[in-house]
Amino acid sequence: MSILLEVANLQISYGRRIVLRSATLTAQSGEFLALVGVNGAGKSTLLDIIAGFRKPAAGSVAIAGRHQKDWNLRELSQRVSHLPQAVHADLPYTAEQLVAMGRYPHTDRWFESDEDHSFIREAMKRTHCWEYRHRNFGSLSGGERQRVLLAACLAQNASILLLDEPSTFLDVDQQLHCFTVLREEAKTGKLCIAVTHDLNLALTHCSRIIVLADGIVAHDLPASKAHEEDAWLQLFSSRLRMGTTPAGAPWIWYQ
Amino acid sequence: MTPHEYTTTAARRNLIPPICVFVASAIFLPWVGAGPISLARVLHHQSPDYEILIQLRITRTLLALVAGGALSLAGALFQAMLRDALATPYTLGISAGASLGAVAVIAAGWQMVWGIPATWFGALAGAFAVFTLVLGGFSRRRKISAFSLLLTGIAVNSVCAACIIILGGFAGMSRTFSIARWLIGSVDSTSFASLGLLSAVVLILAVLIMSQARNWNLVAVGDQWAATRGVNVPALLRTGYLAGSVLVAGAIALTGPIGFVGLIVPHLVRSRISPDHRVLLPSVFLFGGALLAVCDAIGRIVLPPAEIPAGAVLALIGGPYLVWAIRQRRPSEEI
Repeated sequence: MSILLEVANLQISYGRRIVLRSATLTAQSGEFLALVGVNGAGKSTLLDIIAGFRKPAAGSVAIAGRHQKDWNLRELSQRVSHLPQAVHADLPYTAEQLVAMGRYPHTDRWFESDEDHSFIREAMKRTHCWEYRHRNFGSLSGGERQRVLLAACLAQNASILLLDEPSTFLDVDQQLHCFTVLREEAKTGKLCIAVTHDLNLALTHCSRIIVLADGIVAHDLPASKAHEEDAWLQLFSSRLRMGTTPAGAPWIWYQ
Repeated sequence: MTPHEYTTTAARRNLIPPICVFVASAIFLPWVGAGPISLARVLHHQSPDYEILIQLRITRTLLALVAGGALSLAGALFQAMLRDALATPYTLGISAGASLGAVAVIAAGWQMVWGIPATWFGALAGAFAVFTLVLGGFSRRRKISAFSLLLTGIAVNSVCAACIIILGGFAGMSRTFSIARWLIGSVDSTSFASLGLLSAVVLILAVLIMSQARNWNLVAVGDQWAATRGVNVPALLRTGYLAGSVLVAGAIALTGPIGFVGLIVPHLVRSRISPDHRVLLPSVFLFGGALLAVCDAIGRIVLPPAEIPAGAVLALIGGPYLVWAIRQRRPSEEI
């Protein structure tokens, strides 16, 4: 396990509204972090800053021990992949064409190599979208699109995966599958950080729960011990209660 | 679409039809015209067949091929950058700006500057004025809706059209006629020097634009999508807007405002061949050039001895075909 990500004292505001006041976070390879918080807490903004396309007013980000600014864009994209909350793919790319774009940072070739094709195929099979690889992305349902975008992130084969609500639009079975795939990625030594509003999905699949509130990392808990305190839970709603499953795993329910 | 569309072999296969059409247009269309041309007389440099073919037909065919390719390529480029199938140099007002610049030069009576048609300088200045005013503002908050885009284009086109009318009113009879004829949009014979210069500019810019084809694929999906795959998005967009504006200004300075080709050709190639810009951009260039050359040839033969401008033929054929093609598509294929 090595430190892959160091975020220190990030600050950013939109106009007069302070989104991140002093966000600090360190994460290692092999971890799967759930980034949670109420709407507007700055979760997506934090991912954007780590991905490198939003500049903070202050603070720093280090990727694999090197300051983010010291990586060139291509090097950074080989190490960090990002699943955006939404993609407006109005141009009629096929699902496979979109996933293939995940391989662009890895090659100077005009077209993808056999190795690239195997990454694309494997990623699409893992996210259950291989069977509709030839379909127009615009013709897919929300859940089908989300699986294609996740496949594009996997095909990028980066050591840090930043996922902004990866289970959005997915049915329950696919939500479970999505988080299982990400947990498997983490087990191979990658660092996965997923923004999610599904606290039970986070508790059952992630290794750490990072709670953003008031512009800072208000709570940083191992998922296995999240049930030992419920102060973090009250940040979301006073109606939430912490319990355990028959197997002893933490489980959140509401009154 | 096949599973193997990302291979060099598949790309070559996709590029064969447009290359064949382009080359065939270059070879055969100069022979199409109101009157027959004797190959034997041409080979013996006998008048008037030799002069008609070499100085008139070949230059205008080559001009149509280069200008049509440039305008189509610019259309595909703007559609990728703005992620809107309706984005063309026309809808953005760049063509209108270039037209205003060229008309101002015609109204002033300038014809050649340093051996180059003065309309080039006027068109370039007009295109860059619009580029700076309109797209300079967008670059700060580039995410603009198709609705805003169309409104902006309508506004710019209206202002430029009004200025052109005013300029025409002050230009005098003969220059007003020249302006009116230029505005129709046609492919006339030109000097080999002008053609060579345009070809060189278009070739350099086309290579520059096509060399970034993978990055246009990414930008067409989204800025964040492109940025997290290693693209310096602001720098790429600056290059794209600049290259597209020069392509448009250079082409329409010699042909007049023929804009429809930049909308229809990218649309058809994207839906019939591939939306992948590695295949799309060269195909669009080749088909766009061939289409304008064919329209010019049709305009030469349908009502002899009169000629219908290529822009008019293009609109008459392409407009209904585009509407038909859109109606044939399933809702899921809408772009």
